[in-house]
Amino acid sequence: MKQIFLIISIIFLFSGCFNAVQEKELKISTNSWVGYAPLFYAKEKGYLKNLNIKLIVNVSLAEAIDVYSVGKADMVTTTQYEYYSIKRSQNDIVPLVLIDRSYGGDMILSNLNITALKDADKIFAYLEIDSINSDILRDFIKANSIDEKKIVFLNKDQAQMQDIKNMKNNAIIIVTYSPYNVKLEKSGFKEIASTKGLNSIIVIDSLCGTINFRKQESKRLKKLKKIIDKSIQEIQKNTKVSYSIVSPFLNNISYSEYLKALQKIKWINKPSKSLLANIKKMGYEVKYLIK
Amino acid sequence: MKTISIKLFVLLAIFVFVASEIEIFYSFYVSSKDTMSNLVKNNIQSDVLKLKHFMNKNLKQNNINQLVSYLDNISSSSNLIKDIHILNSDNKLIYSTDRLKTDLLNKDICLSLTKINNIDVFDQRCYSFDVRLYSGLNPYYYHSEVYIDEQYLEALLSQKIERYGIYFMIFFITFIFLLWIILKNMLVKPLEELRQFAYYSTKIPKKLFIRELESIRYSLAFTFKRLKKEQDELYKLSTKDSLSGLYNRLSLMEKINWFISKNKRSKSRFAIIFLDIDNFKNINDTKGHDIGDKVLIHISKLLLGAVRENDVVSRIGGDEFVIVLPEFEDDMVIIEVVQRIKDALSKPLKLDSNIYDSITASMGLTIYPKDGEDATTLLKNADIAMYKAKELGKNNYHFFTDSLNEIIQEKVHMQKLMANALENGNFKLFFQPKVDIKTSKIVSCEALIRLIDPKEGLVPPVKFIPLAEESGFIIPLGEWIIKEAIRDIKSWSNTSLSKVKVSINISAVQFRDKKLLETIKEYIEYIDASKLDIELTESVLMSNFDENIRIINKIKELGISLSLDDFGTGYSSLSYLKKIPFDTIKIDKSFIDDIEYDKQEKLFVNMIISIAKELGLSVVAEGVETKGQLKYLKGTECEIYQGFLCSKPLPKEEFEKLFLLYNGMI
Repeated sequence: MKQIFLIISIIFLFSGCFNAVQEKELKISTNSWVGYAPLFYAKEKGYLKNLNIKLIVNVSLAEAIDVYSVGKADMVTTTQYEYYSIKRSQNDIVPLVLIDRSYGGDMILSNLNITALKDADKIFAYLEIDSINSDILRDFIKANSIDEKKIVFLNKDQAQMQDIKNMKNNAIIIVTYSPYNVKLEKSGFKEIASTKGLNSIIVIDSLCGTINFRKQESKRLKKLKKIIDKSIQEIQKNTKVSYSIVSPFLNNISYSEYLKALQKIKWINKPSKSLLANIKKMGYEVKYLIK
Repeated sequence: MKTISIKLFVLLAIFVFVASEIEIFYSFYVSSKDTMSNLVKNNIQSDVLKLKHFMNKNLKQNNINQLVSYLDNISSSSNLIKDIHILNSDNKLIYSTDRLKTDLLNKDICLSLTKINNIDVFDQRCYSFDVRLYSGLNPYYYHSEVYIDEQYLEALLSQKIERYGIYFMIFFITFIFLLWIILKNMLVKPLEELRQFAYYSTKIPKKLFIRELESIRYSLAFTFKRLKKEQDELYKLSTKDSLSGLYNRLSLMEKINWFISKNKRSKSRFAIIFLDIDNFKNINDTKGHDIGDKVLIHISKLLLGAVRENDVVSRIGGDEFVIVLPEFEDDMVIIEVVQRIKDALSKPLKLDSNIYDSITASMGLTIYPKDGEDATTLLKNADIAMYKAKELGKNNYHFFTDSLNEIIQEKVHMQKLMANALENGNFKLFFQPKVDIKTSKIVSCEALIRLIDPKEGLVPPVKFIPLAEESGFIIPLGEWIIKEAIRDIKSWSNTSLSKVKVSINISAVQFRDKKLLETIKEYIEYIDASKLDIELTESVLMSNFDENIRIINKIKELGISLSLDDFGTGYSSLSYLKKIPFDTIKIDKSFIDDIEYDKQEKLFVNMIISIAKELGLSVVAEGVETKGQLKYLKGTECEIYQGFLCSKPLPKEEFEKLFLLYNGMI
């Protein structure tokens, strides 16, 4: 009789353990940006599914941040601007994986050239104010000695900005990034500045999460890092294939536009020591990066 | 291993079940609560995200009044959100859904929305987030707090608990009910059936569903079947005669007792026939026991064929059969059955293609309650009646009568008397003198047994000697006579009676006793054997002549003389006289009685004396009672007489006195 009760007790104990076995689903909040092509690629190839990681693709950087900040995602892809913004309310957020550096990928479009803009009485500036767009625009204004007072700042999502009409009577500047620039350029807007030419600003895209999360999920994060590395490798190796996979996440841009967009970023998943030193100087936390 | 009752087992099973059910339901509850918590969390996140988006895009400095209706709408359309507070960069409340509540709550109770994943949403009542506003490109921050409807959350939880509680109770009650039904029908009821089957072994339970119980049922049924078979066989062995297949003595007694009980109530009668095959011993002796057994089997079949359907036929031993006739109205029915039995037996016996003579049987009949009120008495009296039938010449039947019973009672009484007498020394040897006719002196004597009972006085030998011979009591009694006679002879050895020869009588029954010779040898050593004479009647010699001659010769070799007693009454075969080495012939009293007057008697006596003389035997005349008889004998060559003329049989002391007186010694 004692043995029977012992067996039953053991069954109870085991039954209590069964629920704890399955891994929790992790969510990454991101937005449509060519620099995040490795994540889209990994998702479509099923690499993320193997790690039970889900991708939430948003239309703007700000929205991606909001999704993360309300707790709907465990990780978020950000530039350093959003990173600092989040850090204000969530002190323990840290970069986990460096993905890319914008090398022309972030840009300023306008229906006028810089000289005409300087002469204009009023400039309508479209941007996502609560994003890196602000820093880029601020840097552009400063670099070209444009009077900030004549600028009307219009806070819009990138998706909204795509549909801006080229009204030649108005001086317009749009702070955007690839691939949202493609449609705008087709509407007659021309690139007047980009992160390639703006030496004063470095735009780093990284995957961020909390320190506690990094500790809890270090094993999966290491696997995720390997997947990102692998995806970047495969994207570089076969751009045509990668294009067919990731283009739906990039507003279905053409292959040539995709190639151009890729040229406007640099992969920093395996950052050099000097880069790490540089971004560290900017106050960017690097010690929690997954290696 | 310690055993437990089913009741305790069931209680333990219920306890285990309830514990497991609580565990399962608790797990379900926790899981369900987690699921619900995630849903609530998602709802909060979605609602707050919507709110935050709205504020990010629309909230500007000093435009709160334009947004109030939309903010109110968000709050009222959400089940979860009870109140929204917006605080400006100076930490001043600029909006509250609940307008009456303008005071600020403790900020500490609000949790940053980013931490929602780490908490139990049912314990948290407020979430906060920052709203970024811009002055040109320069940001500044408002703060928003979202209060959750506690009652809604509690209702969700309590509904869940209530629902699971109801499910638990329904499940529990259903389970207990089903368990009770299952246990009752599958376990308790079958076990009770098995218990009853094991106890009464009558009704075999139907096939059981549970394999182990079915195995027990099958084993029990199989064992009981085997036991029943063995029981039947044992019953048959105990109630039936193994040879004939008829009822044996035990079952006969049971049946008679049953008939007694039945007939006692109905005050009716039944009859018992005690049947004994005539001369069956001869069949065994001459044809062997195998044939004897076959004859008995054959007779059994004949008896079964001769009786009525309800009559009981039994074999109670050897060649003895008892038939019970349970119902009859007229005594003639008994006679008819008896006659049918006789007829059946009277046909020639055919065994193994050999034909033997027909068989006869003697039958004694008793009738309940007239001839006995219990089985033993009825059978005993039937046996008595059967012996009477045998006495009447065999192949006959006889009803038990009162007079027959009296005789038997007398026999029983005498047997008791004899047994007590031998034990208590009530038997005495009397001595009747034998007198020399020429000298008129006592020369010898005949020792005669007498029974002197303290209560009944002198019991005549004729009353107990035949019975002693019939019952075999004569063997120990005969030994006592030999021992006692020899003791007396020895006691006279150095007296004036030293030459007195003592005759003792040995019966035919004694002569068949194989120890007779040993007994005589044992005691004769103590005396002069020539002082002992053994008197034999012709009946002793009738059967088994050669063996008897051998014994007689052995006796003679011991130096003991032999007398032929009661000569003239039986066959008086001369061949006996020729073959047997007698020393003396004793002429029977019947010849002496009329010797004075009857010429023919005189002729016979003279002839006997002449033959004896021719054969060199001495002659003793018995029963001489008158002087005339003695006078006649004196004229013959008869040497010795014995009879009342001299003396009746006397006790030892009186005989001794008579001897001395008669022989002129005193």
